[in-house]
Amino acid sequence: MEYEKDGYSTHISQQFNEDLEQIRTELLTMGGLVERQVQDSIEALLNGDSDLAERSLRGDKQTNDMELMIDDHCTRIIARRQPAASDLRMIMSISRAVVDLERIGDEASRISRQAIELVKGGESPRGYQEIRHIGSLVRIMVRDVLTAFARSDINLAYQVAKQDKAVDQEYRSAMRSLATYMMEDPRSISSVLNVIWVLRSLERIGDHVCNLAEHLVYLVSGTDVRHQSLQEMRRTVNEGTDTSDEGDDTDTDA
Amino acid sequence: MTSNMKSHAIDISSLKRDPRVLNMDDEEITLRVNDLRLSYGDKEALHGINMQIPKNRVTAFIGPSGCGKSTLLRCFNRMNDLVDGCRIDGEILLDDNNIYGRSVDVAELRRRVGMVFQKPNPFPKSIYENVAYGLRIQGLKKKRLIDDTVEWALRSAALWDEVKDRLHESALGMSGGQQQRLVIARTIAVKPEVLLLDEPASALDPISTLKIEELIHALKKDFTIAIVTHNMQQAARVSDYTAFMYMGDLIEFGVTDTLFTNPVQKQTEDYITGRYG
Repeated sequence: MEYEKDGYSTHISQQFNEDLEQIRTELLTMGGLVERQVQDSIEALLNGDSDLAERSLRGDKQTNDMELMIDDHCTRIIARRQPAASDLRMIMSISRAVVDLERIGDEASRISRQAIELVKGGESPRGYQEIRHIGSLVRIMVRDVLTAFARSDINLAYQVAKQDKAVDQEYRSAMRSLATYMMEDPRSISSVLNVIWVLRSLERIGDHVCNLAEHLVYLVSGTDVRHQSLQEMRRTVNEGTDTSDEGDDTDTDA
Repeated sequence: MTSNMKSHAIDISSLKRDPRVLNMDDEEITLRVNDLRLSYGDKEALHGINMQIPKNRVTAFIGPSGCGKSTLLRCFNRMNDLVDGCRIDGEILLDDNNIYGRSVDVAELRRRVGMVFQKPNPFPKSIYENVAYGLRIQGLKKKRLIDDTVEWALRSAALWDEVKDRLHESALGMSGGQQQRLVIARTIAVKPEVLLLDEPASALDPISTLKIEELIHALKKDFTIAIVTHNMQQAARVSDYTAFMYMGDLIEFGVTDTLFTNPVQKQTEDYITGRYG
């Protein structure tokens, strides 16, 4: 059946509406915090700003607290309301989404710590180009997946999942060129390794964003697209909507 | 918050999914309902129902009061024949024979399709006599055979251990939950093929309800069960298939797991999630 994006507010029980609206708001708030963390950590690294890195690290505590709180609210709603159909899928999706959001926060913290390390050890311009590029891709993905959640937009979710493949590709090519740097100049190995850790974290953030997109597709369409190819996800999204770009057959599932 | 959210207008109403056709190819079908229409006087209460009840499965009927689910259940053993001004068109096939055919012996039909109601209605007799009653009516006289069947029925109804030492005491002294299980024992004693349960647990406390649900689960290996319930969690717990009815129409009939997580019809979704219809 058609998913109504504001359907959670039309229950006979006003209290239930409020409960669902509350965890939805909380999820988007947590998303906002995590988005900020990611942005700050990348900026701190690129600008060598250890104060900003420290601030971003402190933000992770709040993210962790929100994960526990939202999870607790999900458990309470299940116990008290026995949600069914789209309500049940909403609780399940949110409960899964907070796990991925929290992990994104952890990866952002890792980047912040690397930023502090790199500032301490002096600048290393090698690889920053790649961080800047992949970082901006990942930042947009985080923003878009949260927008998709706010609008229950599975087409956008699919675009985000597709973007993750681009990130993976960029990551692999960055690895190749950084390996070349290290071979050319073994003295750079330790600083390049730090850059590699950062790229690894960015790539992981991309994966978690992709998971978030899958949770949203489940919430809206009822089909679990985890562990499926991008093509299968597109099929599910196309079945659910008329508006997707059907002529686009260029996806590869690397 | 809601108004903010609404301003991000993306047309989710463009979402579409193919209505899933219930695949029962792997099931043996006990009851087939073909274009069944039922009216009380001028008022049509069932508007052409088509469905199949699979053998050795639990099929639950849910829907708001007055949607026709009890009426449909009562069609399966022709209980509506007793209602004045009730007119039935279409057919219900029990093992390929129309139960509304001319040559059908209604008493025999009701032996094959037993029914249990919302309120436990034991006879004002002993526990033993309640269960033996149907057997005696069938002409069974051998005490040994009756004893064995009574014990089997009481065991099947998960009641034997509680009553074996007071079989000859009045059934009216039992608790509500025990009385309902006794009624189920009485129904299954005559070895019906189909068991119709019309809100069997709605007058019982939660523990007795769970016992009845346990019993339904155990009985389905021997019987085909159709249950009407207002308790949606109960339908979700006990049934293999669920039919959602609304205002005399069968809106959706599906595998229970799917119907409660991802229903096809909006009306079903609204009902099971408690939304304004």
